[in-house]
Amino acid sequence: MKEQLQERLRHHCTAEGLTLDRADPRQWFVDGPRERVRDFAAAMVTEGARYVVSMGYDEIARNGTLGLVHSFAFDREGLFLHFRTNAPAADPSFESITPDIPNAGWSEREYMDLLGLKFSGHPKPKRLVLADDWPEGIYPLRKEVPHDLVPPAAEDVAYQLEQGPPGTTTIPIGPYHPCLHEPEHFAVYVDGETIKGCDYRGFMTHRGIEKLCTTAVSYNEVPYIAERICGICGTVHATAYSQAVERAAGIRIPRRAEFIRTMMLEIERIHSHLLWLGVAGHLIGFDTVFMQAWRVREQIMWLCERLTGNRKTYGMVQIGGVRRDVTPEIREDILGVIGQVEKELLVIRKAIQNDSSIHRRTKGVGTLSHEEAVRWSLVGPVARARGVDIDVRRDHPYAAYDEVRFEVPVFTGCDAWSTLQVRMIETFEAIRIIRQVLEKMPGGPILFEFQDPIAPGLHAMSAVEAPRGESTHYIITGENNRAERWRVRAPTYPNLQAVPLMLLDEQFADFPIIVGSIDPCFSCTDRVGVVNARSGGYSVMTRFELEALGRRKGESV
Amino acid sequence: MLSKLCKRTAPKSLWLYHCNSGACNGCDIEILNVLTPYYDVERFGMKVVASPRHADVMLLSGAVTRPSLPLVKRAYDAMPSPKLVFGIGSCAMGGGCWFDTYNVTGGADKVVPVDYFIPGCPPRPEAIIYGVALALGLVDKKAAPVELKQMEFPIDAYRRNEAWEKRNVIYELVR
Repeated sequence: MKEQLQERLRHHCTAEGLTLDRADPRQWFVDGPRERVRDFAAAMVTEGARYVVSMGYDEIARNGTLGLVHSFAFDREGLFLHFRTNAPAADPSFESITPDIPNAGWSEREYMDLLGLKFSGHPKPKRLVLADDWPEGIYPLRKEVPHDLVPPAAEDVAYQLEQGPPGTTTIPIGPYHPCLHEPEHFAVYVDGETIKGCDYRGFMTHRGIEKLCTTAVSYNEVPYIAERICGICGTVHATAYSQAVERAAGIRIPRRAEFIRTMMLEIERIHSHLLWLGVAGHLIGFDTVFMQAWRVREQIMWLCERLTGNRKTYGMVQIGGVRRDVTPEIREDILGVIGQVEKELLVIRKAIQNDSSIHRRTKGVGTLSHEEAVRWSLVGPVARARGVDIDVRRDHPYAAYDEVRFEVPVFTGCDAWSTLQVRMIETFEAIRIIRQVLEKMPGGPILFEFQDPIAPGLHAMSAVEAPRGESTHYIITGENNRAERWRVRAPTYPNLQAVPLMLLDEQFADFPIIVGSIDPCFSCTDRVGVVNARSGGYSVMTRFELEALGRRKGESV
Repeated sequence: MLSKLCKRTAPKSLWLYHCNSGACNGCDIEILNVLTPYYDVERFGMKVVASPRHADVMLLSGAVTRPSLPLVKRAYDAMPSPKLVFGIGSCAMGGGCWFDTYNVTGGADKVVPVDYFIPGCPPRPEAIIYGVALALGLVDKKAAPVELKQMEFPIDAYRRNEAWEKRNVIYELVR
């Protein structure tokens, strides 16, 4: 199977006259001219590849071009394929692949904003990442722009949201809204109680991390900044970044460090899924679930404090290994806590599975078919609840996942209830993985200290299964002991793009749980992002009404 | 001084409004955590409300990004007086590790007058409760006798120096 695919890919590249770099068996790089972008992307989708992400980068200093990478994943075969191309800085235009692969829409818009690339044929070439009052013609990711450049603010610019379908009313949700917890703006077009469409203006928590980490700090400091991309899945980002650097530099870290990383990732998964369960309960007006799930979760937080020194943002992972070892005492402690969590979680699970109000609020809500999920390249529990059998831990093993046994739950309900079930089972699987890791953990050092500088110009990508799905970090190494380019793609990035489809023809009162069902993490998504005064004013009132509406529906069933 | 004022102006239950101005979720989940059974902030009569129009206190987390700046101002203006603002976490205190990037304003005090800061990355739920309780005069201050200079004599800890003022000269060059 794998050999056949590799043979086909090789054949395809030779026939098309593209260069293929097969140095790393787990990720191949294809270089080609920019005219081939769209054909190649379409051919890969026909081959069964899943679109991952695109990345633009600045190579003006080296050869006067702006580069673009489209990444694809062959999950069954455990292979990532990156198509690299470039265009002269004077005319940085590419053909858009969004008409074939809808999920590429945001990536391309992002590089229109940040690098000034042009994509011909893009269906919605609007501003995505930068603030509305950011002046035209300044592209923060270009090398000549310093990371602390702040153009003066302008008063009278506002994002023009799309016109809704005729006959609908526009309801603004956000930027500050109790069901979002982070500043993001949805304009929902409703006909009566039914949602007929949705426009999104987000990226308000864009902090310029990618730029900061490629200009101001060195390799070793970035894992701690990467943890602060997201306060919930911080270890995921630190691990993914460290793995990308290690892979680019060709370092093998000690086995014990890989086991400790696996353990931390799974502990984080338990805490994140319990957090989600609580928030989901809160969003459908079932606060008992919120209180109980967070009560159970609190033990994990305390455990992490004993294990790493902090309740969140652990600071555990660094390039070459981990910072703290697992002592025999803490090992017993972990086993005790996860045993207790498992016991209490079984009670919660039993209560939820037989609760008719949760069934009625989540079953058949936020439906998106299996075909659409594949077409939109969804990841994580959102995809697995729609019958897409992907999991980075199994398909592209990293850390110590090749040595532990676990199951990947896949459901075909295609709705919010299925995502709940997937997450519930994954929590139990995480407990199972932690037990195996503690059992099989070898001795030895926990840190590989390397002296040699990392050569510039190397490309590598690493993927880590975050609680919300696949999180990928693409890195290009550079001079001065820091990366030249670092691209983070969090799982909410593809999943959020499909939310307008999930919302279509649903009840407006179900909006919170549908958006909540993808477990949105806007700070991950925006890492690297206005609504006009009118909608801001409205949202203050509608937020309260909406939550009241959501809760009333909860009471009536 | 401020806590006496708080006692006079907010003698009863405080309603809190949580405003995320571009935080990483770390502070936000710890703020939510104070509602849960172990910390149970409601025993002090505090409650997190959904609208700033109902709130006495704003819990502001995050380094205030460029797009959220006008929104935070609007939310602050929507709160009825007397009102208090708490800056939660390192980012709100001075911008955190991205205090000077292109899309970050750099700290809550650049946008709204902040009365109390609760440090930490993220601050523990106990710290958040302690901070609010301290403001209310419910507990005695246990800190070292430095007497929170910033509160008594408001000084800009991150005063913009000359280099900061000059950095946007580059903007002209790029144009």
